[in-house]
Amino acid sequence: MSKALLCSCEDVTTSEVEHAIEKGFRDIESVKRFTGFGTGMCQGKQCVTAMARFLESKGPLRPEQVTPFTPRTPLFPTSMATWASASFDPEQAPSGGVPPSLGLTAQAMKPDSPVRARAKVVIIGGGVMGLALAHNLALRGETEVVVLEQGYLCAGASGRNGGGVRMQWGTPTLVTLAQRSIELMKRFARDLGINIWFRQGGYLFLAKSKSIVDRLEKGAKLHNSFGVPTEILSPDDAREIVPQLSMKGVQAAAWNKLDGVIFPWPFLWGYAQACVKKGIAVETFTQVTGFELSQGRVTKVLTDRGAIACDTVVIAAGSWSPKIAAMANVHLPNEPHRHEICSSEPLKPFLGPLVSVLDSGLYFSQSMRGEIVGGMGDPREPAGMNLGSTMRFLTRYSQALTEQLPELGHLKILRQWSGPYDVTPDNSPILGRTPGVSNMLQMSGFVGHGFMMAPAVAERMAAWMTTGRSDELFERYTLSRFAEGRMEREDMIIG
Amino acid sequence: MPRLSLIRTPVTIDFEGTQLEAEAGEPLACALIAQGELLFSRSVKYHRPRGPFCLTGGCSNCLMRVDGVPNVQTCTTLTRAGMRLERQNSFPDAAIDMFAANDLVFRKWFNHHEFLAGVPIIEKVLLRVARKLAGLGELPDKAPEEVPPAKSEELDLVIVGGGAAGLAAARRLSERNVPYTLIEREPVLGGRLISSAELGLGAVYQPVATQVRLGSTVLGLFADAGRPFLASLWQGQLHVTYFKRLLLTLGGQSTLLPFENNDLPGVFAGRALARLIRRHQVLPGERVACVGELEEARALARLVTSVGGTAVAVGEEPLRAHGLQRVTGVTTSKGRVDCDAIALCATVSPSFELARAGGARVVWDVRHKVFVVEADASGRTANPNLFVAGEQRGPMSAAAAAEAGMLAAEALATAGVAS
Repeated sequence: MSKALLCSCEDVTTSEVEHAIEKGFRDIESVKRFTGFGTGMCQGKQCVTAMARFLESKGPLRPEQVTPFTPRTPLFPTSMATWASASFDPEQAPSGGVPPSLGLTAQAMKPDSPVRARAKVVIIGGGVMGLALAHNLALRGETEVVVLEQGYLCAGASGRNGGGVRMQWGTPTLVTLAQRSIELMKRFARDLGINIWFRQGGYLFLAKSKSIVDRLEKGAKLHNSFGVPTEILSPDDAREIVPQLSMKGVQAAAWNKLDGVIFPWPFLWGYAQACVKKGIAVETFTQVTGFELSQGRVTKVLTDRGAIACDTVVIAAGSWSPKIAAMANVHLPNEPHRHEICSSEPLKPFLGPLVSVLDSGLYFSQSMRGEIVGGMGDPREPAGMNLGSTMRFLTRYSQALTEQLPELGHLKILRQWSGPYDVTPDNSPILGRTPGVSNMLQMSGFVGHGFMMAPAVAERMAAWMTTGRSDELFERYTLSRFAEGRMEREDMIIG
Repeated sequence: MPRLSLIRTPVTIDFEGTQLEAEAGEPLACALIAQGELLFSRSVKYHRPRGPFCLTGGCSNCLMRVDGVPNVQTCTTLTRAGMRLERQNSFPDAAIDMFAANDLVFRKWFNHHEFLAGVPIIEKVLLRVARKLAGLGELPDKAPEEVPPAKSEELDLVIVGGGAAGLAAARRLSERNVPYTLIEREPVLGGRLISSAELGLGAVYQPVATQVRLGSTVLGLFADAGRPFLASLWQGQLHVTYFKRLLLTLGGQSTLLPFENNDLPGVFAGRALARLIRRHQVLPGERVACVGELEEARALARLVTSVGGTAVAVGEEPLRAHGLQRVTGVTTSKGRVDCDAIALCATVSPSFELARAGGARVVWDVRHKVFVVEADASGRTANPNLFVAGEQRGPMSAAAAAEAGMLAAEALATAGVAS
């Protein structure tokens, strides 16, 4: 049929972009995350200018608001074998990265209209935590809520992660939260009307050392006690699940078939659209500039689009939370740690589960579009906000992945990017009240797994906020635990 | 037949079981076009027929499985005897693809995130169907052969792009005895000087061979540990090239114009058509609609006519391409004409990606409606050791690009490395 293409790699037509504009996606980064344009084999070379012209001609963008999405390395699809041929110094801490700045919070995109002058709840951070909380507050009848996001939707860690969702955790709290999250994700399309392509392909953890095997075995017992069917497998049995895997050096594996992967972008804007439908204001490209405090309470949240008087303020800004809290003289111990990730050319589905080697931090899965999406944490990565990409990562990741799955040496990497893990001293989140500021609530510090925990955490937080009934989540994981020396260590962190 | 000259060094390649004769070392895409084949692939969602468009590795229309490796750009992969080519993502084959029904069912578009969301039972079926349809190409048959270890090197001044701007800069730097290394992605130097519809700047400058790397693809500009370097693939080996100063003269990229059926096989970028004729002696159709910007369209029409083709709809505004699996006609603002290829003459989109990674500012050029790299008169960007010249700064003639290249070279020869 007759179609006019704006992105031929991903089959995005002019009509689809008009629909995106109607839905409120105006800038290039947002339209990319709604339609998927610019994420194909040409890496945006053919489409980004065509899209810019189209958005400008349709009116939603003024000339100074027309900026290209961040170009990603590599410039041309390049095989993992090529990247693996370089070397790197494992002893040296990674630093640097390209591009030097990202423009997440393009000032030119700031809306002209002022924000609402009053709200019962102001949520700072329009990532999955903040939006899921707003949605759950609305479900409980509270719609006088404003969500403030500094950039476009998906600009932060919620739009930059690999979409892995698992029940295999090391503490009862996280196991049960994840179980509930997965239930909610399965219902997401029915509840919110958006497909998030949750695919329960399982998680396969590989262990190459005795200590990791012990950790997996201990974990499996815990999981089983909560009804999570984690099994400990021999390397041969693990190969039944992914026949292409090399099991060299693997001593055992842990397998839960109910874990899976979702597509992060629609999950985020699905929540945002549901919030807007209920009358909640989701304000993108809006900066928090400070707080008005009186008698140990926040009376107003100050933004670059005016002040909002409020009863309660929730800090759900992920790695940006300490910066926000500091404006109210509250110290949060979170530190951002860059985690790099990349995506490959799309291949016909062959890989069922997300595979992770716990010893090295390597993880990879195949998305619904067929791309191999994966990453590998760098133990030397220093703390600090750095969202640049390095070749060191491509080399480390390609070496580790092709060792595990040699056929993937041909696999071409299409693009790489990074996101911040919001790391706390004990790898557990910061939830609940704030000493010294009575109406400020914390909802951050999820160390890279906030994305999968958000539905369940937000559900409980909304219940706790609206009913006042006590919930151990908001007693155990408080900010005050650090001063009290009461740590809640979680050791099943990957990536 | 589309081939305008006899094959000099023949090689045989296998295209889905058929043995084809091709010129050794020509791009695979040219070899197929020369046989009259334009249906190269099927698109991801609607399974629309696709054929080569840009011929510069900047689109996904010409991807095929080559020697068991999926998603290979056939426009930048050169022929060797015995290569095996297969089309992907279609059932039972590319010519009769059952999944093309998607294109009929969804007349204008569909958004897979909203489509049938939350309908019980159907959503489970949807997940299965989506998983079946996902992806292009199958997992490679076997692991690749050993790749040689990457080479690390330090160079003072690197020029990326051996077209009008890059070569003019190289000539001026040579005159001023400033050492440099010029990296060119194609197997020959010249860019627009040897492949555009209108030539006329005379002989192509040939720098000393040791200063040139032909067939070297720059994959990215990185700054691990704060030290900038280029990663490039040359002679099958990854090169990690630390540099002190960089001049980017990459030119531009053919972009889409959104008219109906703008993705039909037989729709080429104007520059791609000129390149096919000039460089590879292939004319993909007898009647070629040279639509779009008048000046380039006229030059292209003259070229098409000079090799025995017929140019139609010259400089007209395209509204719709006609044809089922390949172009049979075009409707322009002046009406419908029959043709078997459409050449789209349009402002190219400057290749700004490397400059952006290097810290240059990229801004929207309101007049030309393209993103351009911001620089001063000499081509110096926000990063004082990063220069740009030519079409990366916006649309310009080859002569203007050469002038800009010389200015940048002059500034590089005069100024030292900024700290």
